[in-house]
This record gives sequence, C-alpha cells and structure tokens, in this order.
Amino acid sequence: MGDSSEVKTEAVEEVSALELRLLELAKSNVEGISNDDIKEQIPDISLPELTNVINKFLKNGTFELFKTKDKLYYKYKDPSKKTAVKGADNEEKVVYKIIEEAGNKGIWIRDIRFKSNLNMTQLNKVLKSLETKKIIKAVKSVSASKKKVYMLYDLEPDSTVTGGAWYQDQDFESEFVDVLSQQCQRYLSEKWEESVKKGGGPLLIRNRSYATANDVHKFISELGISNVPLTVADIESILYTVVLDNNAERIVATNGSYLYKAVNRFLPSPGLVKTTCGICPVANRCGDMGLINAKACTYFTEWLNQ
Amino acid sequence: MSVQLGKVVSFILLERFGPLVERVGTYLFEYGTNPLFCIKKFTDLPIPKIKESLAILVKYQLVTFAPNKNDSVANYTLHPNKVLLHLRYPKYINMIKKKFGDEAEVILEEILQKSYWTASEVILHVYEKLKKDNKSNVTLPALRDNFVSLVTAKYLIRVPYNEADDKAVPSLVVQDHELHMAPPVDIMELSTNPQGGNYKDKDIYWTVNFDRFHQDMRDKILVNAFTQKFDENAGELVKLLLRQMYIRTEPWTDVSNPIPLLEIKDLVRKQANLKLLNSFFDQYVNVIEQDSSNLIRKSGEASGGSFQIFLKEAFTQFAWEIVEQCVLEKFDSKAARIFRLVKLKKYIDSDLIQQQAMIPAKEAKKLTFQLLEENFLQIQEIKKASTGTGPHKSFMLFHINLENVVRMLLELCYKTLYNIMSRRNHERTVNKRIIDKKQRVDTISISMRSQGATEEQLADIEDMITPPEKEILEKIDKMMKRLNTVELEVDDTIFLLQMYLVYQ
Repeated sequence: MGDSSEVKTEAVEEVSALELRLLELAKSNVEGISNDDIKEQIPDISLPELTNVINKFLKNGTFELFKTKDKLYYKYKDPSKKTAVKGADNEEKVVYKIIEEAGNKGIWIRDIRFKSNLNMTQLNKVLKSLETKKIIKAVKSVSASKKKVYMLYDLEPDSTVTGGAWYQDQDFESEFVDVLSQQCQRYLSEKWEESVKKGGGPLLIRNRSYATANDVHKFISELGISNVPLTVADIESILYTVVLDNNAERIVATNGSYLYKAVNRFLPSPGLVKTTCGICPVANRCGDMGLINAKACTYFTEWLNQ
Repeated sequence: MSVQLGKVVSFILLERFGPLVERVGTYLFEYGTNPLFCIKKFTDLPIPKIKESLAILVKYQLVTFAPNKNDSVANYTLHPNKVLLHLRYPKYINMIKKKFGDEAEVILEEILQKSYWTASEVILHVYEKLKKDNKSNVTLPALRDNFVSLVTAKYLIRVPYNEADDKAVPSLVVQDHELHMAPPVDIMELSTNPQGGNYKDKDIYWTVNFDRFHQDMRDKILVNAFTQKFDENAGELVKLLLRQMYIRTEPWTDVSNPIPLLEIKDLVRKQANLKLLNSFFDQYVNVIEQDSSNLIRKSGEASGGSFQIFLKEAFTQFAWEIVEQCVLEKFDSKAARIFRLVKLKKYIDSDLIQQQAMIPAKEAKKLTFQLLEENFLQIQEIKKASTGTGPHKSFMLFHINLENVVRMLLELCYKTLYNIMSRRNHERTVNKRIIDKKQRVDTISISMRSQGATEEQLADIEDMITPPEKEILEKIDKMMKRLNTVELEVDDTIFLLQMYLVYQ
C-alpha cells in the first residue's frame, strides 16, 4: 500500500489548476462526463488546452474513455489503483483488468488467455512484467499444486486458495492437525472422566460430558499451541476427525449446534489382530509352498520369541 | 466354502481323527454331497476303511446322510462349520463349569468326547471317574440332578433315532417334545447293577446342543459390549433384559418382542447387589435408549414402557467395529479414519475424503487406494453425461460392502487358524527329540515314585535333562501356550463375524 499512496501524491502535485477543476468535475459525476458537460461547467477553457489535459489524463489512466449512445464520456478512475499500471502498454492494462476482476480468488492463466485473446508467449511476457513490477502476484492453489492463480499484489488470498489454517504455503500441516485432534480428544475424555468422578447418576454424567465446539475452541486457544488464529469452524472440522477416529460422538443440540462427547467402543480389539497374520502385509501371498509360509514366517518367529 | 476353510477342516480332522478320516472328510469337503461309491472311486481307499471313517464322522455329527431319489443309497454331506466347533470345546466346558459346577463340567466333557451317550452310562462313568480322583462327596443322585438340569437348560438334547427299520437308508427323527424331556434314570438300578448295560433308558441318547451354547456366547458378548461402553450397571441391565426376552421371544430372532420395564425393575429391586442400578434405574434406561447406537429402543408406553432389543443391528454394529479395528491395526489410524468416513457417508468422492478426514491430499489418496487394493473399499463409477473422453469423464465414488469385507476377514481368520496350527505342528516336529525325551523322563520318574524310589534317585533322573534342554523346553512350552491362546481368540473373532452372517 505504501508506494501506491506515494505515487498518488506525486500525481496530484503535477496537476495544474485547470486539471484540478476538471478532476473535481469528473469526481462529482460518477456516471462520467461528456464534452458538453465540460463546456457547460468550465466555459473559460480553450479547446486545445482541454484536449491536452484530457489526453494526459487518459494516458495516465485517471480518466477512462467510453462511449454510450454515440457520445463520448470521460469517467474518473481512482488513481491509487490506476497508477499501478502507469507506463504500462495496452496489453498489460487489459490483463491487469482481468486479474483485478478475479478478486482474491485469483484467476488461472488459461482463463486470462481466453478472456484477453492474447497468445501464450505474449501473455507470459505481460504477466512476467506485471509480476516484476509487483503489481500482481502468482499464488499456488492448494487444490492443485501445479495450478497457479494470479491476483493483485496487495490482496490477501482467499481461504479456498490457501486452504485456510491447515496449510503452510502449499503444504498441508498434518502434524499440526494431529496435535490439535489429540488435544481435542484429551479435552473431551478429561471432561468425561471429571463428570464420572463427580457422579450423580448416569444421566448427569452423560450430560456433563458433552462439550460444544466453543468450549473446545476456548481450551485450544488457552493452550497456545497454535500460532495461527483458529476459528470455531476450524475446531469443528478437527472435532469431526476425532469423531471419525471413533473416539467421540457428535449429536445435534436443541439449538442446532453440535455437541461432542468422548465415547467407549463396544468391543475390545478382536483376536484376529492380536496375531501377526491379522495385520500381515503379505498375508495374501502366504501359502504352504514358496518363500512366504507359516513355518518360516519371520513375523511369527519374532512374535513367538517376544 | 473356501480353500482356507478346507485346509483348516482337514487339519482338525487329521489332528483329531487321523489320516484316513481326514482323507474322506477332505474329499467330501471338496466335492460336496456324495455317495459311498464315489468316495471309493476318488479316494482309492478300501471300502471297509471308508465305511469306518464315515461312521466316525457321522457319529460326531460332522457328516449327515440323506437317501437319494429312490431311497436306496445314502448321500453323505460334510458340515465344515461343525468341524470348526472342535476348536471351541474348551470354551463350552468352561462355560458349563462356571454355570453348573465341576460335576456338570465332567459330564459335558465326557459327552463331547463320545459325541452321544445314554444318561445312565454317562452318570455311572462320571461317578467312577470322580471317585478315582478321590472326590469323596460325589453321589449318583447329585450327578443325575446335574444331568437333568443340563437337559432342562437345553445344553443337552436328544439324538434323533430311527423309527422304521425297513428302509435301506434310515431316516432319523425326533419329536419336538422329546428333545428336552428328562431321561428316566433309575438310581437304584445304577447303584445295584453298575456293570450291567440294560438300563431303562438304554436307547435314549443325548448329545450337546451347540446352538444353546452359542446363544449364551452371544448374550455374553452383548452384555460385555454394554459394560465396556457404559458401565457394569448398564451391563447388568442388558443381562436382565435378555433374560426377560427369552420368556416371550424365540432366541434367534432379529428383533426381540417388547419387554415391559416393570418386570426388570422388580428384578433389580430384588437383587441386593444392584443398589446403584436400582436407584438410577430410569436414568440408565434413558441413557441406553438415547445412545446413538440405538440397539435398545422403546416400543410403547404400556405398563411403564416396554423395550425391544435389536439383535441383528447389534451384530451389524459389532461387525463394523471389528472391521474398523482390523483396518486400524493393519493400516494405522489415518486409514481407519478414512474407512469410517466412507462408512458414514455411504458414497464419497476422493476429494471430499481429503477434506473431511483432514489428511494431506497425497497421503489420503495413497491410503484410499491401499484400502481399495485390499478390498476394504469398493469403487462405484458414475459417468458424467456431457463430457466425452478424458480424465474427468466420470465420478469415482468410494463405498463399503460390509458383507464382502466380513467374508474376507473370515477368510483371513481361517488362514490365521491354519497358520497357527501348521506352525505349532512344525515346532513340534522340529523339537520332537527333546519333547519325547522329556516325556520319557517324566514317565520314568512317575513310575519310580510309585515304586517308592528315594529323592536322590528321582533327582538323578531329573538331571537327565540338561539345563540348555530345559531352557528350550520352557521356550517351547511358552510358544505352545501362546499359540493356543491366540487360537481361541481368533475363534472369538470367527464367532462374532459368523454371528453377523447368521443374522443377515
């Protein structure tokens, strides 16, 4: 933001009295002004002078020229945005506009090419020059790591592009998620144990051990394990992984929000997985003959010698 | 009917009945129902041997026979699941011991070993045996009472008998009311004439009713599950519910008939050790009813509310849990998370899996396809209407077919059983010399002791086994124990998975 405001003051210093008047006129009319409007509002002006000024404005982008009903209109455009493309050629302006429209979601290079009708090499050149001027930037999208999207330099990328709190650059921070889900689980089971200790009947125990996402959010924020500020929605999705791990259950409360509670399983781990065969990666290839067989199985031997 | 099951079956037959029976049994497993001459043709054994083997198999109810179309020849069918039950014998014996005491245990053991027997003979045999073991307080009436209570509790049932003798292939029948009718045992006759075989009930044979045992095992699993998930009181409550269920429901229905709550409440009040359950009774009912598992539901408000137990659903959920545990142990927690996500969503796209399971895209993809490769997940392809070719022409949705997965795991269980058995056999053959030596030394020392040898002599004989040999023996002993326990535990898993399939 810093340099664009500097540019703005510079631009303002350069303008003469006439230019100022014209600018004010244009600013007051958002719809744009025509040549007739100018003549009416600023009658004491010679045509060549006016042409000079308007040409200057059009060149540096303060004015935009457009045509409605066979009449030419000049429209004022905020120079803080405009000045960024100062000294840019037409192609750059077109591309800039397309990128600007895309906002903080960014736009894919292929889409720019279709919209601008520029060929690939030319477009690459333009994008490169805009990038070196720090007008636009390329952001890697998390949904497809090869796909780059372009957006204005000073915009904060949308969370669909960056992936939200779980992404550092383009990498998913699985360790961070794991730690958080462990903590959430700990919180829930501690809450449960506490309510069991308090006693007072099974119904009370159950109701006491429910926690909302807000409670967990507060607990996680107080722990201070996260540098990134987490939203309640983030915590909800973490809690859902705890539910998926079968360590908690989720019910819908009367007000429509979710309540979470630590739960036990029905069954202890089955006998099958207590053997080596139940978890053997090559069980499919095991037989009476061949290298993999029960008699010479190293997993078996290790387990029997434990 | 799988190759793995066949291997296990022939292994059990070989261990329990020897090679001849094993060959006949394996043939019947592979080729299904067959008459005698086909068995002869393919196994190439002498006819008398085959007959003998078949007699043994029929006696132990592993093979049944049925007449062919013109009633002249018997077709024999092997029941592989019955063969597998041999592995469960220790469990049955243990259950009876806990429920009816030591004497009933011995009775059951004898019947399991003989497959069927008359009441009088069993009672006499057990009486003699227990007397030999110096159990002084054994009486014939007590044994008879034990036997009768086993019959009335339906742990023993009457063996079907042949009514008409004129047919070439006998058809065995038993009337329903005879199944659980107490046998006429005359204690006087037994005590006065312990050698004679002509007792009153000489043609009434009894055998073990495995179904009844399985019912008990099923109930125990349910009670344990509720104990594990909630607490002991909830477990007790479910136990009482199941007990009351039998009054008005067939034991193997999918959903029990409604059980009035008042009955249970009365039962709880009468039992002194359930004070906590008594005081929080309504709350426990509430908590169990409102649990997300939904296994026990309210069916009506009449007489203080009545409840139904959803047995089929319970075992479906248990099967899910087992499968999930297997995925967890085999592929770790992230894969288990994906598996459960697919389970919850029924059909899900791979992109959504990454997002909701919070697993990095690459890893999620890897795990999903690993699960797919091992057949835990299935793919359903849905073509997009508009696009022609290219990578995006269809959606790939992942889903789970539980029955397939359960059958696959069952297969893995059989394989595991087979591996355990063959490994045990292998260890035995490898260490045969040393095991034999130990046995010889043991027999010598026992006979010496009975002859009144001195301590010194006994120690001398004990020393014949060197310290390193002792070490090996200990190791083998540990190994065998481990293999045996695991065999029983795998059988537990088999039972649970089979329960799921039974209810399907």
